[in-house]
Amino acid sequence: MSEALLSVRGVNRTFGAGPAAVHALRDVSFDVEPGTMVALVGRSGSGKTTLLNVIGGLDRPDSGTVVVDGLDLGGLDEDGLSRLRRERVSYIFQTFGLIPVLSAAENVGVPLRLARAAPAEREQRVALLLDLVGLADHAQQRPGELSGGQQQRVAIARALAASPRLLIADEPTGQLDAETGLAVMALLRGVVESEGVTAVVATHDPVMMALADRVVHIADGHVTP
Amino acid sequence: MLTLVTRRARAQWPLLLSLLATLVVGTTLLGTSTLLITRTSERSVEVAASRADPDDVAVTAYVAGVSAGNARSVAADTRAVLTSAVAPFEATTVSRASSVMRELPVGGKDGGGYLAAIEDLPSRATLVSGRWPRAGAAIREAAVLQSTARLLGLKTGDRVRLGTEFGRSPNGPVDVRVVAVVRPRQDAGWERDPLGGAGFAADPPESTSARPVRAYGPFLVDLGDLLSGGSALGRLEVSARPDLSDPTSRELDRITAALLRADRKLSGTLGDRIEIERVASPLPQVLIGARNQRQLTSGAVLALALIGLLLTAIALALAGRLTTAVRTGETDLLGALGTSRRQLLASAAVEAGGIAVVAFVLAVPASSLLFAGVTHLPPLAGAGLEAAFTVTGTQLLVVACAAVALAGLHILLAAARPANGGRDRRELLARSGLDLLLVALAGVGWWQLRAQPAGAGYQADTVRVLAPALILAAGAAVALRLLPPLLRGAERFAGRARGLTWSLAAAGAARRPQAMAAGLLICLGCAAATFGTAFDSTWHSSQRDQADLSVGADLALTLTSVPVAGQSAAVGAATGGTVSPVARQNIVVGQWLGGPDTTPQVVAVDTRTAGDLMRGRGPDWASETGPLRPPAPITGAPLPRNAALALTGSATGDSPVLVTPQLLLQDPSGLRTSCAADPAPLDGRPHAVTGCAPVDGLRLIGVALPIIGESGVQRVSGIDATLTLPAAGPAGPPWTVRSASPATNQLTGEKVTFDGRRLHLSVAASFANPTPSSRVLVATAFPDPGPMPVVVSAQLAANVGATRGAELTFAVDQTAVDAVVSDIVPQVPSAPGAPVVLADIDWLTRILAVKGNVNSPVTAWWAADPAPGATARLGDLRLGTVVTRDGEADRLIGSPLRASYPAVLRVLVVAAALLLLGGVLLHVVTDMQARAVEVARLRGLGVSRHGIRTALIGEQAAVVLPLLVAGAGVGALASYLVAPLLIRSETGAAAVPPATAYWPWGAELLLLAVLIAACALTVGVAVFVQARRADAAHLRVAS
Repeated sequence: MSEALLSVRGVNRTFGAGPAAVHALRDVSFDVEPGTMVALVGRSGSGKTTLLNVIGGLDRPDSGTVVVDGLDLGGLDEDGLSRLRRERVSYIFQTFGLIPVLSAAENVGVPLRLARAAPAEREQRVALLLDLVGLADHAQQRPGELSGGQQQRVAIARALAASPRLLIADEPTGQLDAETGLAVMALLRGVVESEGVTAVVATHDPVMMALADRVVHIADGHVTP
Repeated sequence: MLTLVTRRARAQWPLLLSLLATLVVGTTLLGTSTLLITRTSERSVEVAASRADPDDVAVTAYVAGVSAGNARSVAADTRAVLTSAVAPFEATTVSRASSVMRELPVGGKDGGGYLAAIEDLPSRATLVSGRWPRAGAAIREAAVLQSTARLLGLKTGDRVRLGTEFGRSPNGPVDVRVVAVVRPRQDAGWERDPLGGAGFAADPPESTSARPVRAYGPFLVDLGDLLSGGSALGRLEVSARPDLSDPTSRELDRITAALLRADRKLSGTLGDRIEIERVASPLPQVLIGARNQRQLTSGAVLALALIGLLLTAIALALAGRLTTAVRTGETDLLGALGTSRRQLLASAAVEAGGIAVVAFVLAVPASSLLFAGVTHLPPLAGAGLEAAFTVTGTQLLVVACAAVALAGLHILLAAARPANGGRDRRELLARSGLDLLLVALAGVGWWQLRAQPAGAGYQADTVRVLAPALILAAGAAVALRLLPPLLRGAERFAGRARGLTWSLAAAGAARRPQAMAAGLLICLGCAAATFGTAFDSTWHSSQRDQADLSVGADLALTLTSVPVAGQSAAVGAATGGTVSPVARQNIVVGQWLGGPDTTPQVVAVDTRTAGDLMRGRGPDWASETGPLRPPAPITGAPLPRNAALALTGSATGDSPVLVTPQLLLQDPSGLRTSCAADPAPLDGRPHAVTGCAPVDGLRLIGVALPIIGESGVQRVSGIDATLTLPAAGPAGPPWTVRSASPATNQLTGEKVTFDGRRLHLSVAASFANPTPSSRVLVATAFPDPGPMPVVVSAQLAANVGATRGAELTFAVDQTAVDAVVSDIVPQVPSAPGAPVVLADIDWLTRILAVKGNVNSPVTAWWAADPAPGATARLGDLRLGTVVTRDGEADRLIGSPLRASYPAVLRVLVVAAALLLLGGVLLHVVTDMQARAVEVARLRGLGVSRHGIRTALIGEQAAVVLPLLVAGAGVGALASYLVAPLLIRSETGAAAVPPATAYWPWGAELLLLAVLIAACALTVGVAVFVQARRADAAHLRVAS
């Protein structure tokens, strides 16, 4: 068995204090192998998004450890976490998370700009990724001029732009109709295989669960077998 | 609906609070301006009246031709008419009267004398000997002037009989006993005496005798004695000075109307008891002028307040738009739930009404408080316009109307759907063509301002009121049109960079839909603030320019009587700086007498000191007056202090001949004065000429010798006269002699010799011409200097068609002076806007002297760089009125009638800055809140907080900074184009010299720095807070 790309051990996260405290994560532990796609499944409020935020370094657990690509997130400061998200982890949001004033190509180029890639290299990579997600003809359109499915495909291309090791997607088809959602999931599955990235995808979608290599269930903050 | 509005208000309180704050700032500004326009404006006339020059509030009734029987009743009735005209103000009255001329034989020859009475004689004359006359003595007690006593040989205790009155129905003789010999005080109104306080006149203008009469007097008695003493009155004057120390506007209106009717009322009251009557007072015109000035200032204040109102409306539009944008989802939901447009409008109206009521409740005390505060600061405090916390009906009405109108704007915006599609709202203005329309209107306004008449005018016309706001708004609109291309250029440039931060900032600035109102508010706010600051400086600068030009020197002393020998030393010692005598008199140029407001004048100064002395915008006066300087200085014959000269002469023929020598003297400073000696018969005996050399260092440089004899007969008399000096001195250059101008051919064969002690004059005098002034022999220690080079003002040149090198002839005191135009200048100091001939005082007095006019033309003294306390020291000399250019500038700037101007400018600057910053805060905070999720996603993408802060600050700076700079540019442009055109003189006419824009770099840079720093702080804090908040919680919300 190869070394896990993502290792979550005994993670607890509580919001608030006293009787009103919400225990979002309770002693969560699991590993994700490199190049696999894991579906994180649970009801609304079960702790999926909190877990993704902790994995992505957007939130810190009250206890436990998260190791991504050999990096223990607990030992990283704010800048280290930002660097982690720039270089190793990418997000795909349910609401796409595109910057409205930038075109599709510019949105895809954001991670490359963060990595201070040379303009020529950046343009080449953006073109490749837009072609990969089937939006080469929509490169100059702004998010407001694209459909929901197209926007999510742009988001996927952007997530892949910096060649991350770990792709985190929080209900990427939640805003899409079934047909578009299926297409997006197929795309996601395809890029996991073609780009060799590891993906953790929070979803309610049974199709997505079927496409995943593994399904992790979460309920009331507990990961259940 | 009320529940919805209440709960929404609770949830969105920061937004509503900012809306309320904007409304309160705007309505407070309007309320304060209203109080300045009404309360301060009203009070300014009252204060101006209370501070008016005493001479400007005096009301004087002049009555002539009163019979002895009516004298007492006429005096009483005149006094009653005046006191009723100035009611309800308490008034002090002073009367003076003089009788008609009575016979007073002197040396067996015709002579005349008259009685006079002055109520406050001890304050107008100095007792030389004796005591002041008392009333009711059996034989009237009288005081006589020193000169009269000398000429008549009178001393205290002497009894004098004044014979029968001249004229029709003469009253009988009266006896008086001389109990005092007095000397007239300077500046004490003796010019209104029939003989001007001289004590003697060879042929007084008021003589009713057909024969030339040598008149002596006055014999000053008690007023009651004169009025009841059986003497007809030649003149009666009653002056009333109302106490205007605490007037009200209504009282001032009443006194103005009463004084304008007073003349008619006095005429009706006195009827045929008098021959002539007149009531004169500058007070009605002073009060009318004050009201006109107030009207002019109110118009300017209104124009500036309008800019504030425009800013408030834009700030409110911004707040309204942001509110609408924030509530888009809610509005859509309510619409989807079936809420009608009317119901939405009703909820907006309830909310707007509530805000308007709260704004009204807050703005009324705030504006009153601000008003009270502003009035306790300069310049209003210095102008005596301090006011307590006050609330007026007009203020309530204006604030209420403004609150309702601005709240109504909020309703309209709330009802409007926010624009979709993300097109830049800044371009909306450009696309609609509204900016071009504004530019066109502003152009028309500017053209109208330029075309406004230069003459006086007080009406606050619509163009003058609207033009500043229009021009600023048009400039801001044009700046908004230019901003998008600029930002797109910046975006293209930043897009070439490798990193994200600047390209994201530039893209955000260039592509993100910006609030048109926000851009307009930032640009216009900055423009208004910089315009207000520059306008304030330009206004102050113009007042100082006007003061400099109107005074003409650092200090000007306007004399109330002709200068006397030695005065230059006294004036020089009092001022402690360079001084020059100045002649400033009305003249007639050729046949041109001037118009009603354009009397031509001559201004003659010592051109040797012109460079140091003359003030006011214009050429280099030292080089400009260089060609006006006279030839070599005059030597003359030295006269020791208290020198006694002797006049000896003879005349051929049987009829006696009298001469009254006038000596022309020059003191060490060059001041030339004349001394009239007592009449002396040419009887071969020496006659002393005394009292002409009261100080050291005088030199005799000329003598005018009027020859008086029985005229109108065909005879010629050979005249020889020798003026002997007390000691011999150098003869100096030869003297010249001639007959005074105009030539009447009554004198021929004029000769003069001077041997260092004796000045011998000889001439053949004809007595055919009955006019005594036709036989004046003039000898001077200098030759005729020829045509005088002069500099003329542009207005005089335009009126008489003078060009450089042209010859002019003008009359000074009826003496013709030939001149050659050396140059033409826009203005001459001390006479702004007037047709003026500028000359050298030395040259002018030489010309006047050789033409027989040895009277000093000097009417004033100018001083350069006076020492501290000079004004007070000169005041102690009681020579006349002292004005300094600093004092005049202070008067113009601190005048209660104009002090509102700079005050409202300062309020405008502060209000504009506050509204601008409020707008920036509102815009940035709302923008940051709306983009909270976007900021969190950037964090999710791995952008550091620092990177986010930099990008957001860069984006806001890319929008705000160019708008601030553009606003400053618009303000500067408006200051150069409009400010000089808005500044008028205190008469409402165009300022002289014309106002020029003054850009106070220091203040403007400081203002811009403060605005940029405040905006940076506002943006920085908002961005910093938002970047800190960009955490996983926002992502959760987004998801």
